Amino acid sequence: MNRRVMIVDDNEYVRASVDIICESAQLELASAASGPECIEQLEGGFRGVILMDIMMPEMDGWDTIREMVDRGLYPGNVIVMLTGMGEPDAKMDGLQEYVSDYMTKPFSPEELLDSIEYYLTLLNAPTDHD
Amino acid sequence: MVIGVSTGGPLTLKALFRELPPLDAAFLIVLHITPEMDYRIAQGLDAAASMPVKLAEDGEYLKSGRVYMAPGGLHLQLTGNNRVVLCEGPRVNYVQPAADVTMLSLSKPLKGKLIGIVLTGMGRDGADGIKHIHDIGGITIAQDQQSSTIYGMPKAAAQTGAIDYVLPPQKIAGKLMELLAPL
Repeated sequence: MNRRVMIVDDNEYVRASVDIICESAQLELASAASGPECIEQLEGGFRGVILMDIMMPEMDGWDTIREMVDRGLYPGNVIVMLTGMGEPDAKMDGLQEYVSDYMTKPFSPEELLDSIEYYLTLLNAPTDHD
Repeated sequence: MVIGVSTGGPLTLKALFRELPPLDAAFLIVLHITPEMDYRIAQGLDAAASMPVKLAEDGEYLKSGRVYMAPGGLHLQLTGNNRVVLCEGPRVNYVQPAADVTMLSLSKPLKGKLIGIVLTGMGRDGADGIKHIHDIGGITIAQDQQSSTIYGMPKAAAQTGAIDYVLPPQKIAGKLMELLAPL
């Protein structure tokens, strides 16, 4: 049963709070402080629910998703954007299909866990397409 | 009935369909989704809904009391408002499948109701389609701002002036139960 979640955020306080929330639900949390760190963990075999910040230096959340897709690292993952921005910008155009959900910080732990658990259920379900 | 939806869609659809009893209508969902995830999303919705949910297949006829989801990576058009045609082609509104492609393929119904719904999502996919549905005599619904994960597509739909009802998912379910007969 895959219980893996990755938080991708340059803010260590956000990563720490997600860590506490995930630990309370017996989720396995991977932590990445940047887009390149996220890609590195995906190259290393991470598959699960990815909580992706948008505003990050060097490579933002949208660029990170494009890199995932270009390298064939999207399959087996669900992406939930976590952002301080109220509405997404035009950089999301063309990436809608890869982003399942979008949560504005500060998010409620219950809402975040409900979302993570639902997407893990989808990822763990056996399918004829596997 | 055709529903256009994007980001925030999986959980919004779950919230909507778990409220609905089996109804005398065929439901077609156009969710912006990849081929890697389409089957899983349909499976997840099937577990939550009272009506069976499946991916639409090329050439099949839509049946009442069932929910169909457009597969990822293709556009879906309907001929005669009930036969599925899956087609390749350029992205529309940056997406594939695009709700506009499906909605614009609809024609004025000879009998029964035609309903179009635009739910949460980035961009303006579904806006041209929902106006078309309104223009051919259909009933149109858009999700309200407060309940939308991203108020992009429902806003663009509302701005066409062609929306009959602006509602959150639970009230959309109530409206559909008013409009459609139970099975």
